[in-house]
Amino acid sequence: MKIEIDESRCKGCNLCIAGCPYKIFQAGKKANRKGILVPLLDRPERCTNCRLRHLYGRVLCGVCLMTCPDQAIRFREERPGETVKVAIEY
Amino acid sequence: MSYEDWFRQDRLPHIYCAGCGNGTIINCTLEAIDEMDWKKEETVFVSGIGCSSRAPGYIVTDSLHTTHGRALPFATGIKMAKPGFHVVVFTGDGDLAAIGGNHFIHACRRNIDITVICMNNQIYGMTGGQGSPTTPVGALSTTTPFGSAEPAFDLCELAIAAGANYVARWTSYHVKELTKAVKVGMETPGLSFIEARVQCPTNYGRKNKFKQVLDQVEYLRSHSMLRQKYLQHEERGEPVPDATIVIGEFIKRGRPVMGLPR
Repeated sequence: MKIEIDESRCKGCNLCIAGCPYKIFQAGKKANRKGILVPLLDRPERCTNCRLRHLYGRVLCGVCLMTCPDQAIRFREERPGETVKVAIEY
Repeated sequence: MSYEDWFRQDRLPHIYCAGCGNGTIINCTLEAIDEMDWKKEETVFVSGIGCSSRAPGYIVTDSLHTTHGRALPFATGIKMAKPGFHVVVFTGDGDLAAIGGNHFIHACRRNIDITVICMNNQIYGMTGGQGSPTTPVGALSTTTPFGSAEPAFDLCELAIAAGANYVARWTSYHVKELTKAVKVGMETPGLSFIEARVQCPTNYGRKNKFKQVLDQVEYLRSHSMLRQKYLQHEERGEPVPDATIVIGEFIKRGRPVMGLPR
């Protein structure tokens, strides 16, 4: 499972930066096609929910999911054959 | 199912400003509804006029976008005609406290089985930043250019005094707690009132020294105090810092309820 930011919905308010306990979201530097600084993902494989959701069978943290006022953040399953980066417990 | 299934995907992204907390409150409410296992055909969202009241337009269920301040009378009507339906009211502070103030008091008095979620941004956001009854003393707005001189309304205390069965207050920073509070409110028979303090970066933050959205969210976080702690302070006679937002569950009781399915 991985985090994805929907660029067509993000308005660049940076609220996800305050919420994430792992500080995965970093302020964006380059404006996209709409002129919005979409946050960057810093080593997203550290995310608790992405790592352990299937093990526990429920949403584990999901604060970014709830906090995002524009519903731009979502978790999605990896496509078959997609490379997965694995993080060791920090 | 997840909360995403309750959104009308064709209507998103919504019209709220960048950093507006209303979207967060909608997420939390829909997450709580999702945990309740309500049917989409048996859930109705009602709202008045204002920024917060745009919310039902982005939700797949039936919704009513009614006149200013009159969301609660319409919700009462739905509940009386169809007691089996689940009615949720989205409302703002100007909608609920100023124009619909009397309706709010009497809905609490009747204790109708609905859930009221008030997105309190302390200002009339949609019409250009006029001062509302919940604007704190000293805050600048379009109609109070030298600082508001009137004391602000405490909506939770009002709801308790008027007789609501469940009253809680959280902020848009406390998403998990807010989701839980909304869920408990929906499970409780009778009027459940959940006040959610949200940030308004465009009209409130810009005039009140919150240059960034995060500044205002940080303010909400650092100035909030749990009710238990607040009561301890009160017991010991210690002064509580100014502009403290008391958060938590205020009351949960079992007064006689109107509008339950027979």
